[in-house]
Amino acid sequence: MIQVFFQFDFLRYSLYTGLMIGFLAPFLGVFLVVRRLSLIADALSHITLTGIAFSLLLGRFYPLFAGLNPLYMGMAFSVTGALFIERLRNVYKYYKELAIPIILSAGIGIGVVFISLADGFTNDLFHYLFGSVVTITRTDFQMIGVISAVVVVLIVLFYKEWFFLSFDEDQAVISGIPKKALHFIFIVMVALVIAASMRIVGILLVSALMTLPVASAMRWAKSFKQTFLYAVIFGEVSVVLGLVLALHFDIASGGTIVMLNVIILLISLLLTRKRM
Amino acid sequence: MEILQQLTFIERGIVAGLIIGLICPLLGAFLLVRRITIITEALSHITLTGITAGVFISQTMTWLAFINPLYTGLIFSLVGSILIEKLRHAYKSFQELAVPIILSSGIGLSAILIGLSSGSTVEWYSYLFGSLVTVSLSDLYFTMATGFIAFIIIFAFYKEWLSISFDQEFAKTSGIKVNRLNFFFSLLIALVISMSMKVVGILLVGAMVTLPVAASIQIAKSFRQVVILGIIFGEVAMIAGILFSYYFNIATGGMVVVTGVVILLLTSLIKRLGLVSSTVA
Repeated sequence: MIQVFFQFDFLRYSLYTGLMIGFLAPFLGVFLVVRRLSLIADALSHITLTGIAFSLLLGRFYPLFAGLNPLYMGMAFSVTGALFIERLRNVYKYYKELAIPIILSAGIGIGVVFISLADGFTNDLFHYLFGSVVTITRTDFQMIGVISAVVVVLIVLFYKEWFFLSFDEDQAVISGIPKKALHFIFIVMVALVIAASMRIVGILLVSALMTLPVASAMRWAKSFKQTFLYAVIFGEVSVVLGLVLALHFDIASGGTIVMLNVIILLISLLLTRKRM
Repeated sequence: MEILQQLTFIERGIVAGLIIGLICPLLGAFLLVRRITIITEALSHITLTGITAGVFISQTMTWLAFINPLYTGLIFSLVGSILIEKLRHAYKSFQELAVPIILSSGIGLSAILIGLSSGSTVEWYSYLFGSLVTVSLSDLYFTMATGFIAFIIIFAFYKEWLSISFDQEFAKTSGIKVNRLNFFFSLLIALVISMSMKVVGILLVGAMVTLPVAASIQIAKSFRQVVILGIIFGEVAMIAGILFSYYFNIATGGMVVVTGVVILLLTSLIKRLGLVSSTVA
């Protein structure tokens, strides 16, 4: 079943991309969940849709933009969205949790208007929303490779600081860790990984790959390191199996990947019921 | 009923829009003070699963073809709200995980069901993003009936919900049956989502619940004002959105949400200029 992925170039690209995403998304997801920011991934992925829609719209009216990969615009929007969330948190001092639903719904609403204007309600959009095995091109693959490299370097550089911040923010700030800057880098990283995963998993499902493996891993793990290990294993297994299944049954790859994660989660919940 | 049958499709849409603009912010105000506005996102995504399941069932099993996807959507979102409560218990120290888990599994399952059901993918866009043209007479009846039930539930328990929203412990000691009321509340959210879906679209129902009250809380001085201003903003967003989408031929849900965003920006501007000093947020 897996051989077919090595016979065709585009399938090989999606397999390699899948392997990278299966590592990155759950890895960042652990930090997100521990810092109680798991919902931010949803908000950022929805605002990525706005960026992609905007890129489609520009491409329709200005030929100059038509050649531009929509991923870039998606990334730019999702980083801006991250900044907006921080702003909104300051506006609603007593209701900080409002920032995420506001950005999420505004993002998708504006995105829909752009798509309408660009007459973009086509099959292509469906691939963006729910992911697809076959849409990965060589340039996508290269770009996602670069993103992965950057993210891995950043993680290696700042692992200790984030670890510290996640568990004892006050102590970390007192010991002189630049919280704001690190938080910003982290959010930008999340935005990058969302943009990278989007092709395979789909915008509506990227956040699932960041939270579900972690939620399963937390049921088994006995330490923080183990959480990473289990989360990445679950992530990789679900991505590879999901791609194979999606190809064979001709359904959206995002759907199969997420449902495999849900199955893993259900099994984990069932088997570890007595432990917690 | 006679009058309803004579409505043109745009009038049907506006009537449905008026009902949605009334009920959504009303519910939103309670969700806001209970700090669970995000729950509508999770439940609306699981409603999508219900809809896709309904369509899939009626396609594959002919003797079940009479099923209206709206009803399966309603059932799924009810089940989803119960599951969220269950998951909150499973992850005691990470309760906020329940919402993203339900949200993403809902969408994941829908993606598979959409892939399995026959017909072009493009048809799904009216469910996802809302469409004025597809509001049929029976959809309008559905919206009116569910809206009516939701309205009655809200007003029958208005005082109890106010009490629970602001101080759950106090409400419990003063003899309010919190668990049962919370179940009714989940039922209410499910009803509101299913009734708004046809016009606003599944992915944008959450916006209608959140944006008007997010705007009103900036300038309101009391809970009552949050509710009243929220409803006004909701109605304005609905009507303006529907009209704009009709004249410019843009997806209805998107335009409604954009109007909501504009209102939100305006209220923030009013607040920043110091024209009104809110005591709530």
